[in-house]
Amino acid sequence: MPETSLGHRASSRWKAALAAFRNWSPEAVSPPVLPLVDAEAGDFRAALESLPDPVLIVEGGAVGNLSARRILFANAAARGLLKVEGRGEPLVAALRDPQALDAVDAAIYGEIAGETTYEPAGAQDRFWRISVTPLTAAGLGRKMAVVRFRDETDSQRIERMRADFLANASHELKTPLASLQGFIETLKGHARDDERARDRFLDIMAAQTARMSRLIADLLALSRIELSEHISPAGRADVARATTDVMDALAPLLAEHDSRVELVERPTDATVVGDRDQIIQVIQNLTENAVRYSGRGSRVGIHILGDLSLAEAQAPSRSDSARLALLTPDREGGVRYVLIRVVDQGEGLARENLPRLTERFYRVEGQKSGASPGTGLGLSIVKHIVNRHRGGLIVESQKGHGTTFSVYFPVTERRGVTEPG
Amino acid sequence: MMDSTNQHTVRAYGDELNQITADVARMGGLAEAQIADAIESVSRRDAELAQQVIARDARLDELQREIERKAIRLIALRQPVATDLRRTVAAMKIATDLERTGDLARSVAKRGLSLSDLEPLAPLTRSIERMGKLVAKRMKAVLDAYVTSEIAGALDVWSHDDDVDEHYNALFRELLTYMMADPRTITSCAHLLFMAKNLERIGDHATNIAEMIHYEITGDELDTARPRQGADDTPVSEKEPS
Repeated sequence: MPETSLGHRASSRWKAALAAFRNWSPEAVSPPVLPLVDAEAGDFRAALESLPDPVLIVEGGAVGNLSARRILFANAAARGLLKVEGRGEPLVAALRDPQALDAVDAAIYGEIAGETTYEPAGAQDRFWRISVTPLTAAGLGRKMAVVRFRDETDSQRIERMRADFLANASHELKTPLASLQGFIETLKGHARDDERARDRFLDIMAAQTARMSRLIADLLALSRIELSEHISPAGRADVARATTDVMDALAPLLAEHDSRVELVERPTDATVVGDRDQIIQVIQNLTENAVRYSGRGSRVGIHILGDLSLAEAQAPSRSDSARLALLTPDREGGVRYVLIRVVDQGEGLARENLPRLTERFYRVEGQKSGASPGTGLGLSIVKHIVNRHRGGLIVESQKGHGTTFSVYFPVTERRGVTEPG
Repeated sequence: MMDSTNQHTVRAYGDELNQITADVARMGGLAEAQIADAIESVSRRDAELAQQVIARDARLDELQREIERKAIRLIALRQPVATDLRRTVAAMKIATDLERTGDLARSVAKRGLSLSDLEPLAPLTRSIERMGKLVAKRMKAVLDAYVTSEIAGALDVWSHDDDVDEHYNALFRELLTYMMADPRTITSCAHLLFMAKNLERIGDHATNIAEMIHYEITGDELDTARPRQGADDTPVSEKEPS
């Protein structure tokens, strides 16, 4: 039968290739390439290469020698995730998770398939499910395993988002609803015929309901952003244009507070990788906060600096202040950043308030934000948008000397998956 | 004949060194998992997970002894010089830092166990969680730098250790406020305070590891005085309230 002979031919090629592997020593200049490419058997290597899920082929050695577990092959997605080339590096250099290592050992030495989860600590929370299957080349005496990663970040996030949304919404709406109820009862009761009290109560109720709908809108926005946080934005946006748009949009608020916003400096090119609407949202939230917390007649300065290295973007802008990085992107060589700095002349924040600023509904005690307070979600939204853009967020402040928020966005796409060498 | 024995010796020697490095990386992975699980056990009030963290610590101690044994054996039998000697010594020292990290993670989990019987203090637990994530991220970054021998990554961790201090100081003040406002929270707050201290020290171990990586690769020691903005190393209690 043709199938048999084809299978036989393919397996003899495998034997020859695997023999080359057996004789390969780590000192050799380059390891032999696992010949998944086979004219008759089809282009297996290319097929694996093109899979969207990260896939590794790992070889074992002596049981006790951990450095002998080597990555024979890593497809494009795996090279991107684990920053390996797949040319015989030790497995632990790419994957240290103890459960994953145990699963690989079980597959290689016990020939038992297994599953585990993998959550690398990074700026973006990712959740992977790993399945490890033994790969036995019969009669060759080589022990190998296939490690496959499946991205389950989405389902994990949806689960958590639902729980967070319910908890936040029910908790935050409880108080304004109770107060509305109180007013309604009063209006139905002894305030029924008091025209002055009725108007005053209705005004308060209108403000309360407006706040509740702002709250719902912000919570929904936050949930949406959180869901897509691990997916980098694709478009390009001009930060300077976005800033002038925000300044125009804030004109009514500025008039109300009798304040000014000034674009102090801008580079010739302030284009970044990003979602224009989201970048506008970031600048708007920061500027709005600055205006609200600065008191009447104050001045807010916006500085845009272009073409900075990560170290330059993270450098302090004021010498005498407490400074805290609220968000730091994962380090990536050679990326340049555009930085937006919003400087206010408000009261400033005490040092111990800084770490909690981006927490949902966190309010600095005793801080006045004017007649229409925010929802307490503004900075949280900023943080999640900036994280989605692989950028960073820094706050600098000192009591009595105002607060400076700096956000920076990468100018270029994050380094993609390396090409197979 | 002579040649092939010689080559064999060289290969076995390189192999032994690679094994020690791989063992340190594995130990690092275990320490990372211990930190992450300890934090999760606290934020989720998960007593079972806390027990697992406590039980798994023995494995780290065992690995550390194993790495030390292998390193001493290698020094005694092969008498490594220059880079190889530094690699061996660095592995031994990093293993010690990781073992201490494990002890601290175990201690966090233990305190989490005691906390799970007490009234929850949600905002403070969130602060601990935030600090824990920061420290875990530093540990990951420095271990990534170790397995890839990347000096820039190590230096990055080394020069950014003031963020952890900032979190610690803020948490300290927050705890004081709670304890003064409501003495019934003192027991919980004391546990949380020690947790924060433990996390801060894990951060210090990450910095130590960064120094060892720098030494291993360049042979030079990093300046002991790290750059700090705000020059704020005094404990909060000794400072004027602002």
